Amino acid sequence: MSQTTLPTIALGAEASDWIALLKPRVLTLVVFTGAIGLVIAPTHINPLMACIAILCITIAAGAAGAINMWYDRDIDAIMKRTATRPIPAGRVTPDAALAYGVFLAILSVVLMALATNLVAAATLAISIAFYVFVYTVWLKRRTPQNIVIGGAAGAFPPVIGWAAATGHITLLPILLFAIIFFWTPPHFWALSLYASGDYERAGVPMLPVVKGRRHTRICIAVYTLILVPITLIPFVLGLTGRIYGLAALALGAAFVAYAWRVLYEPQDATGKSLDRDRAARAAFKYSILYLFLLFGACAVDRLI
Amino acid sequence: MPLDPMPKTVAVPSGWSAEMQTEYKRRRRGRNLLLLAALAGFCIIIYAIAIVKLHEYGQMW
Repeated sequence: MSQTTLPTIALGAEASDWIALLKPRVLTLVVFTGAIGLVIAPTHINPLMACIAILCITIAAGAAGAINMWYDRDIDAIMKRTATRPIPAGRVTPDAALAYGVFLAILSVVLMALATNLVAAATLAISIAFYVFVYTVWLKRRTPQNIVIGGAAGAFPPVIGWAAATGHITLLPILLFAIIFFWTPPHFWALSLYASGDYERAGVPMLPVVKGRRHTRICIAVYTLILVPITLIPFVLGLTGRIYGLAALALGAAFVAYAWRVLYEPQDATGKSLDRDRAARAAFKYSILYLFLLFGACAVDRLI
Repeated sequence: MPLDPMPKTVAVPSGWSAEMQTEYKRRRRGRNLLLLAALAGFCIIIYAIAIVKLHEYGQMW
């Protein structure tokens, strides 16, 4: 029997498949924003406990990703981008993936409670539940606003980090939550402008599929214009210093410029790019850099 | 009475080619190592939490 006809389930999954179930590429931003929440908190936390708190946030996000892959295995098999994931490719059984995700979710919350406090553990549990039940199960296949509301799930890490350090939640972590919340739609919609074919085949109602590309371009611009003033609120209220304020202003201006390019790049009447979606690709890449630099500036501002 | 020794070879389903058996063993070894690392990490974390809590607060809860 040749290698290509090996029964994949019988052979069992590679160790890397179990890691792939955690969506490691998505975890980078989660870990970073969670760590920023810990760093900017105005109290001392034992460095070892801080590392464990970040680990818990990472495991929780990975667990939510694994449960998401279990639930979405039918549409993952249809989409080219996700067809090689461990479940649709037949390397991990759906039941095993679900058990793995649930186990890791419980483990992360228990560890967080042991290492830090109940507020952080409860917030972590809520973030997992929000991603699984509100985004994955309820919104993703029902409404083009899935990213808008579901984006809240990805906005929890700085709040959890802050809660792990202080034991409570105040205005600054809520503002950081709001920043990620309003950053998520332009970030994902920029991606969906050039990757919506997959979603269309799978019947996922992403904004370009349901409302069209022209409408999506307008929404990206509108959300970016809402985002920039929100990023300035921490500085205006005196919760952060000048370094953050200047960074928010400069980075925000550049983000608006990218959104402007997306809105006015050469396109046909339906909003389909005549320039191979160059502006949308650039905006998507910049949006990631934007969040890293903005939150990095927040941490630098606090540490100096 | 002497204990049964650990098996020297990994049991694989019968009827598989040498190529499949090698692949099966490689994957199983990788999974076992990952599980070992996860369990060791978990033990170290719990141990570390206990030490830090007892040192800083004098109690676990």
